[in-house]
Amino acid sequence: MTQPFIDTILEEAISWIESDKQVVLATVVQTWGSSPFQIGSKMIIDEKGNFLGSVSGGCVETSVITECVELIKNKNSFKKIDFKVSDENAWSVGLACGGEMTVFIEQIN
Amino acid sequence: MKIEILKEIIKKKSSDEQFAVLTNLSNGSSEIYKIGIPLSNNFINYKNDIENYYNLKKSGVINNTEILIQNYIKPIEVIIIGAVHITQYLIKFLKDLNFDVTVVDPREYFTTKQKFRNVKIINKWPEEFFKNIQTNSNTALITLSHDPKIDEPALKHALKKKFFYIGALGSKKTHNNRCKRLKDEGFNDKEIDSIHGPIGIKLGGKSAPEIALSIVAQLVSETNKYKNL
Repeated sequence: MTQPFIDTILEEAISWIESDKQVVLATVVQTWGSSPFQIGSKMIIDEKGNFLGSVSGGCVETSVITECVELIKNKNSFKKIDFKVSDENAWSVGLACGGEMTVFIEQIN
Repeated sequence: MKIEILKEIIKKKSSDEQFAVLTNLSNGSSEIYKIGIPLSNNFINYKNDIENYYNLKKSGVINNTEILIQNYIKPIEVIIIGAVHITQYLIKFLKDLNFDVTVVDPREYFTTKQKFRNVKIINKWPEEFFKNIQTNSNTALITLSHDPKIDEPALKHALKKKFFYIGALGSKKTHNNRCKRLKDEGFNDKEIDSIHGPIGIKLGGKSAPEIALSIVAQLVSETNKYKNL
């Protein structure tokens, strides 16, 4: 439930920005049921959909990446995304663990 | 999030002191919090909850609000006494698990750079080493030299400072003798029983990486117990 000091994803975010990429930070903010990733798990995504880090066991990454690219394209600064098993979209990207999670995505600027 | 805040988080991470990042999920604003630092208008209404989560080192969205708190805490420090073969494998496992590792061995010829990269190596006797560092219930001790001259001063220090995990390599016979000596030195049964000896969970392996794995498994299990208090 806590952020280990030696996680380096934020440092990577800075280096991406310094190489002129637009960067969105995605963070797991809430989980229910058997979601495998801890609150605070992070992923960074650029305008081309390149990504680093992880917010789930690979289940919702694709969807998060799409949302982040959209966020940059639409010049929005943040969005909260809920993933549920009953949600058709989440099912299609395969949140197979039966858990639910909320991911907060925000542009770094 | 503003890039200035991101840079501040990275700077604070190197200071080894607990801090938290607050995010208001309804308007996207973020700030850094430490106990005693005043909150901005975005967060002031949630002062009590924020302090509560901070003190419990808990991360998450505060109930019935849109306020996210993420606590950054210092990783658990693991001190390994003895730069032996098992130590090399232990370091690999411990790094992946986000533990902070220090290896102490007064025998310099055991601690060549080729064997031990990217880890703090201290060529001192344990008594001398512990004089200069702060240890507490956030520290774990693993003794592997199985030389009482090197291991036991460290064990005594760990017992006095109430380390949350203390493990000592050695057979049952070695461990019984060790316990007798500690008893003679005035430690009580409860203290002595808190030492995991022989160290590790039962995996049945005999090779160095297998023993390292059994030690790490035990340490992680104890860490999770401690974290969930």
